[in-house]
Formats: sequence, structure tokens, C-alpha cells
Amino acid sequence: MTAEDSFREMFAMIELEMRRLRHDRTEIYTRAIQPILWLAVFGTVMSQVKGIPTGDMPYIDYITPGVLLQSTIFVSVFYGLTIVWERETGILKRLLVAPASRSATVVGRSVASGVRAVVQALIIFPVAILLGVRFVHNPLYIAAAFLVLFLVSGGFAGLSIFVASLMKTRERFMGIGQALIMPLFFASNALYPIELMPPALQYIAVLNPLTYAVDATRGLLISGDLSGLAVDVVAIIVFDVVIFAVASLSFRKIIE
Amino acid sequence: MAFAIEARKLTKIYDGKTKALDGVDLRVNPAEVFALLGPNGSGKTTLIRILTTQFKPTSGEAHSFGLDVVERGRDVRKIIGYVPQETSVWADISGFENLLIYSKIYGVPPSRRKKSIQDALSRMGLEEMANRMVKTYSGGMVRRLEIACALLVKPKILFLDEPTIGLDPSARKAVWENLTSFKKEYGTTIFFNTHYMDEADLYSDEIAIINRGKIVKSGTPSELKHSLRSEILQFHLNHTNSNHDGTDGIGEVVLKAVKNLAFVRDAVLSDSRLDVFVEDGESALPLIVEALRSGGVPIERISTKRPTLDDVFLKYVGTLQSGRGEK
Repeated sequence: MTAEDSFREMFAMIELEMRRLRHDRTEIYTRAIQPILWLAVFGTVMSQVKGIPTGDMPYIDYITPGVLLQSTIFVSVFYGLTIVWERETGILKRLLVAPASRSATVVGRSVASGVRAVVQALIIFPVAILLGVRFVHNPLYIAAAFLVLFLVSGGFAGLSIFVASLMKTRERFMGIGQALIMPLFFASNALYPIELMPPALQYIAVLNPLTYAVDATRGLLISGDLSGLAVDVVAIIVFDVVIFAVASLSFRKIIE
Repeated sequence: MAFAIEARKLTKIYDGKTKALDGVDLRVNPAEVFALLGPNGSGKTTLIRILTTQFKPTSGEAHSFGLDVVERGRDVRKIIGYVPQETSVWADISGFENLLIYSKIYGVPPSRRKKSIQDALSRMGLEEMANRMVKTYSGGMVRRLEIACALLVKPKILFLDEPTIGLDPSARKAVWENLTSFKKEYGTTIFFNTHYMDEADLYSDEIAIINRGKIVKSGTPSELKHSLRSEILQFHLNHTNSNHDGTDGIGEVVLKAVKNLAFVRDAVLSDSRLDVFVEDGESALPLIVEALRSGGVPIERISTKRPTLDDVFLKYVGTLQSGRGEK
């Protein structure tokens, strides 16, 4: 019964996000602007410079997986705002009184955010094609890349819910969210290989789940080199499981 | 037969210092409408949140139809419906969609889903706005939608935390008419918090008054009113502090004199009105008038009044504003 209740709530949460998106798509479009600029401006210019050793891969191709991930993780990291808002209203109280378990609420919301994040990436993907990024021609690889994207976005949404359960107000949450997002991006292999970083930053990059997601999606979308894929996927799943556990435990704090 | 709700010596202390509940004992019969009446900060919301399994009491225990709310929270959640004080529907989707999402969360089987939603909509008089976005709803419509969401599963107990706060009188009436007809049909137990005295008087079978975390009085509305065993004689005084060098002394002196009369149960002076509680107004009146005259206080007008729930509340809670701030 428990598992059934919990799965039901998870799917209901995904449906809720989809219905919200259907009613108002503005956010998805405006949030696509920044990543598109990263590709169109930064990527194009840096491709001319050739200052960063990316092998025989054009720089814009090199950063496309990272930019796609950045756009989805942006959605996830700020997903906690929805939770903070629902805390101020009575929605969270009400969900806690529903039959599903509390971890179902956390995992369900995270998964729902992951779905929303994939929709976000789907908007940027065709723009990248128009900008001349050459993707691997295997639809299975592309689908797998989106699955990776979904997994890691869900994890970051869980992290965001965890932060929301500690911060409890919009202002504090915004501060933490902003402080989190850029270091995540820069302390990863999204824009440059890890080997170029100073040693201290390299350690952070190795612990950064985004690094593994970038590595996996770069292999699947651009280079076709899947040698690191298994490690990457394991790292992401470990991250998800740990985050979901921690966020579920701290979730009850949010309503007290 | 088990009580719909039974609480014993329930206490809740927040952060080791704020005592929100201080030994609450409570019994609610099945199919009863039960009103918990109390000033802001008296512990009403804390009590409802413990009974709906949102957090644990610091000590004491509570049962819903025999199920311990701490030990068997999961089972309790299956038989209750709950509408919190704050908005609990999503504003950026339609009313119908809210019901649809909630019906899925609560596990209404797909075969019955459509019917349950239609039923809840018509029960709360919302059919016509079902497909409008909730953000275009009025306050009363939102509240009715929230209750509709709770009715999807036909709960055995419906908990409502300040169900009509902020609503205009006609919206309040609509909410209660819909609730009453639902209750009649399904025999649902309704437990609600309010500080609207008239609402408790009109719609509840049983009332408990809570103050500073304790139940100070309970009974049916008419029992409570009769418990004062009194009529109220109201003297509108014309005391302008003519003597006693500008202090408010004269009122106090007269109040003391009136209170000292053997047959006077209680007396309350507020501004220029003196309320005297007596058992038998007709025989008491001349004697009180005499006491006031000899105290030198001119009387402008005298009226008699049967007690209302307001009087009961004032009697047991003190003033209407003795709260410590809403949690």
C-alpha cells in the first residue's frame, strides 16, 4: 500500500508540473535565453580563440552539454522556491496529511522538477543544432543523454528542497540559490577540462555531481566516447539517493 | 463505540519553552460538529495539527476512531480530511485540475474519479467555475474549492482550521450550508477552529473553549449559555468622574459595591456600561438600582439580556484580546 500511495503521489506531482507548464510557458522560454546566449556568444567567440585545449572538438560543441545542464540545473536549484511558497500557503501541510509517505513528497517533487528540466533542455537543443553544434547521430545516445540530464536535475531539485527546508523564507533561499549555481558551473568540466584548474578547484570539481553529468552527456551527445559513462551514472545515482534521503529526513522540519 | 476524537492530557511545547498546549482533554462523538473556540494564540491550530498527524505532541495521547495519531498516523491519514487555515490549492491551474491532482494523491480509483470530482464540485456549488484558473476565484470560492478537495475521499472526520476566516457573511453562509448538507448525507464528523462565536453557536453540536493551551469549558451551545445561569442586566451609566479628583475611581467603587451584593454572580464594567450577572433579574433590579444611586452614579438606561456565546467566551477567556500572538 505504502509504495502504491507513494508512486501515486509522485505521478500526481509530475502531472501537476506538466499542467502548470501547459498553462504558462513564459518561464520556460525566458529561462532559455541565457543558455542560448552562452552558446551563441560565448561559445562562438571562444571557438575563434582556440585557447582551451578541447582536442579536435569545436569549443561550442565542447560546452553544449554543460550549457544544457546548466539550464536544467537552474530550474532544479530554484525549484525549492516553489516549496517555500507552498510552505507559506497551506499546500505543504495538506500534502503531509495525505496518505503518501513524506519521502514520496520529496522524491515526487524532485522527479517532477526533473521532468520540467528536461522540457527546458528540449527547447535549447534545437537552437544548438541551428548554431552548428554537431551531435552524435544516434537517437539512442541522445535519449540516454536526456535521461542523465533528468537524473541529475532531479538530484539537484532534491538538494534545493533540502535547502528550502532549512531556509524557509524566499529571501534567504534566493541568496543560497544564487551562491550555489555559479560555483557549481565553474567548478566543473562544463567550460574547460578539469586539468586546467588549480589543484584545490580540481578536488571540488571531482566532488561536483555536475562534472559527472557533463562527462556523461558530452560522451553521449558529442564525442561518442562512452568509456567513462558507467562511473558517471553510478556517481549521479549515488548523489540522487543520498540527497533524497537527506531531504526526506529534513522535510518534516519545513512545516514546524 | 470509539470516540471520533479522544485526547488525553495533550501537551505541546515548542523549542523547549513556548507552551502551546497544556494538558488538553477532549472527546468528540462520531457524526458531531465540534467547534474549538479560542482567542488567537490559544493553541487551536497546534491542537488541530497534532490531531491531523502533522507533528507529535510533547506528551499525552490522542486517538481518532481508536487509532493512535502518533503510532498509527498513516491509518489516521486515510480517514481524515483537512483544510488548513492558509490557502491549500494551486492558483496557476484550474479548479477542476486541483481536484484531479488531489484525487490522484488521495488515491481515488480512476473509475470513480470523475464522479467524485463532479460530486465535490456540485456539493460546493462550483460547477460553473470548474474550468477557470483558481487565481481568478474570490476568497469564498477558493475556500469552497479547498473543502471540495477534502470531500473527494468522503472522510470520516473533516478538520477545518478557521474555515471562514476573511470571508464576507454571504460567503460564510454558503460554505456552511454546503458543509451541513454534506455532513447530513455522509454522517461526517466535523472538527473546526474558529473565533467567530456566532458560527460556533449556529453550526456546532458541541463547543470547547480553549485558552492558553487549556480547555476551560465545554458543552453544547445551550449548555454553555445556561452555565452562566444568569441574565445580564446592563446599566448604561453616566459617570463622568465628577468626584475623586479625575481618577476613574467612582466606577470601581460602584463595581465593588454591586459585586458585594449577595445575589450578584459577577459584574463587569467596560467604559460606561456595567454588566451585572444575576440569576433572577426581576428581583435583583431594584436593589442594584439602589446601590448605584447611593454610590452617586446616574443611570441613563437599563436593559436586560439573555446570555450569548460571546458572554460565555468573555467569562471563561477573560477578554477577547488576551492572546499571545498566533503561532
